[in-house]
Amino acid sequence: MLALLLRRVGFSLLSLVLVSSCLFVLTRAIPDSPARIVLGQDGTQAQIAQFEHDHGLDRPVAVQYGLWLKGMLLHGSLGTSFITGRPVGPDIAATLPVTLELVVVAFVFSCVLSILAGTLSALLRDTVLDYGTRLIAVLGVSVPGFWLALVLIMAFAVDRDWFPPGGVAPWSAGVLQHLDSIALPTFCLGIFYMAVLSRMTRSSMLEVLGQDYMRTARATGLPRRRILVYALRNALVPVVTVAGMSFGYMFGWALIIEAVFNISGLSGALLTAIQQRDFALVQGIVMVFTFIFILANIVSDLTNVWLNPRIAAVRT
Amino acid sequence: MIRRITALFGGTGGFIGAILVLLIAADGLAAPLIAPYDPLAVDMTASLLPPGPGHLFGTDQAGRDVLSRVIWGGRASLEVSVLAMVIGCVGGVSLGLVAGFFSGGWLEQLLMRVLDAMAAIPLLIWAIALVGILGVGPFTVVGITFGNEVKLLVLLGVLYIPTLARITYAGALAESQANYVAARRLQGVGPLRIMISDVLPNCLSPVIVQATLLLAIGIIIEASVSFVGLGVQPPNPSWGNMLADARNYLFSGEWWLSVFPGAAISLSVVAFNLLGDGLRDALDPRHTAQALTA
Repeated sequence: MLALLLRRVGFSLLSLVLVSSCLFVLTRAIPDSPARIVLGQDGTQAQIAQFEHDHGLDRPVAVQYGLWLKGMLLHGSLGTSFITGRPVGPDIAATLPVTLELVVVAFVFSCVLSILAGTLSALLRDTVLDYGTRLIAVLGVSVPGFWLALVLIMAFAVDRDWFPPGGVAPWSAGVLQHLDSIALPTFCLGIFYMAVLSRMTRSSMLEVLGQDYMRTARATGLPRRRILVYALRNALVPVVTVAGMSFGYMFGWALIIEAVFNISGLSGALLTAIQQRDFALVQGIVMVFTFIFILANIVSDLTNVWLNPRIAAVRT
Repeated sequence: MIRRITALFGGTGGFIGAILVLLIAADGLAAPLIAPYDPLAVDMTASLLPPGPGHLFGTDQAGRDVLSRVIWGGRASLEVSVLAMVIGCVGGVSLGLVAGFFSGGWLEQLLMRVLDAMAAIPLLIWAIALVGILGVGPFTVVGITFGNEVKLLVLLGVLYIPTLARITYAGALAESQANYVAARRLQGVGPLRIMISDVLPNCLSPVIVQATLLLAIGIIIEASVSFVGLGVQPPNPSWGNMLADARNYLFSGEWWLSVFPGAAISLSVVAFNLLGDGLRDALDPRHTAQALTA
């Protein structure tokens, strides 16, 4: 178990270094120097050289990357914005909570509902409930979340007054108010993965229920509930893997959803940074997302080892 | 007879998907012929007309025909998703095939580690950030000017590579240990020839299924990226940027601006998903192709 954990963390760190150096080289390879963007078209050659020297942009890319890595490891700093001159860490920390809340709520709700629906759908195969779940699953993966958001805003925020059309009410405005304001965004964010995960749970559950060991378990006269728990433990392994990936991917879709609902979260900050061509901030935000993505994958691997300890034996 | 044809696509669902995909492809190819109006023709006297006999899907804020723009927008969506899929397949299949066929050496280790690192990239965020970094707008390579969406499709294609490579790798690894490959070796056939003409055709089935599912996800990604202004650039129509315009009319009741492009996206995605699921039942009964995520 520990060996597996160390191995996974080691490989992930290696991936993170590789991926971050790629990103670093790409942000440095653009033809426009950030100096041009900050100083405008009438900055003189000397001013530009001075700016580049001040921000270390005249050094080789490898050296810049080394410095950035050192700053991150020693001071936990993600770099300094060329536009504002402030470190990007606090900016990210200020906008992360909203995005994180949206994604976590959407993730929990889509996981719980999809495992429930997928399991019931497999147990009650070819009943109305099964067909209903499968229909919702096909629709869920086909309707793009941001369009669903537009339609739901039209139907429930403009025509009827059930939900606010955008923004997130702070907790201080009241718990109900707050939950009401995140209901539509989290639904639009989660519905796609709910569809994907419920389909996976159903097919994985059906496969496990057909195995010989399930027949044996039934033959030994175990209570149905115990059998179901055994079946779920085995069936959930592929679902957990995809769920782990979904968690990371959701931050990408959150960017689009936040744009529709005018929510000022981390994803919105990324779009603003892109528009202002603030590459240091873009780079910092993308690194945070990539880190979360890799972390979620490690957590899902460990969950799988807990669900089915044989996986650890195979992989180490 | 009909049974036999539907069986090719894994049942009724897959068959319906195949027909819809054909229609959508025809729409993309024949857009100039079937669109009733020029999608860029501005007519301020006819702005924001509701759907009616002259304009079946109504007109937008600049008086452009929404139906024509939906038809032309399909062309842009298909261009991005199909070409990205082609890039991903060419890159992914060749890397996976080489790593799987020449397994057990340093080449396999190197390729698989690089692919692992690439798989640690969240697709949509990177696509958006990289297009943003490269800058929005047309660009010129060796005298040919490409639209902004070309950046998006190349990036997407590269980001598809690890998924497709892993599927091909699994197939190639299993196939290259099969008896028929050993038999071909004994016949004195060279390894490259065995790899391409014997192993490759036998591990393509799950790749075809995955490629179909990637087409569906490509359409959603193109629409999403265009929606935030980093994909197809206005005034050229795409389903995503039409919806971005429609956002300004949410509160004033011009529903046709958001309903038709969105329905077009959903219909195409349903079509590719149905076809992909059907092909999976027909070609890949062990379900090696992965679930659809991005």
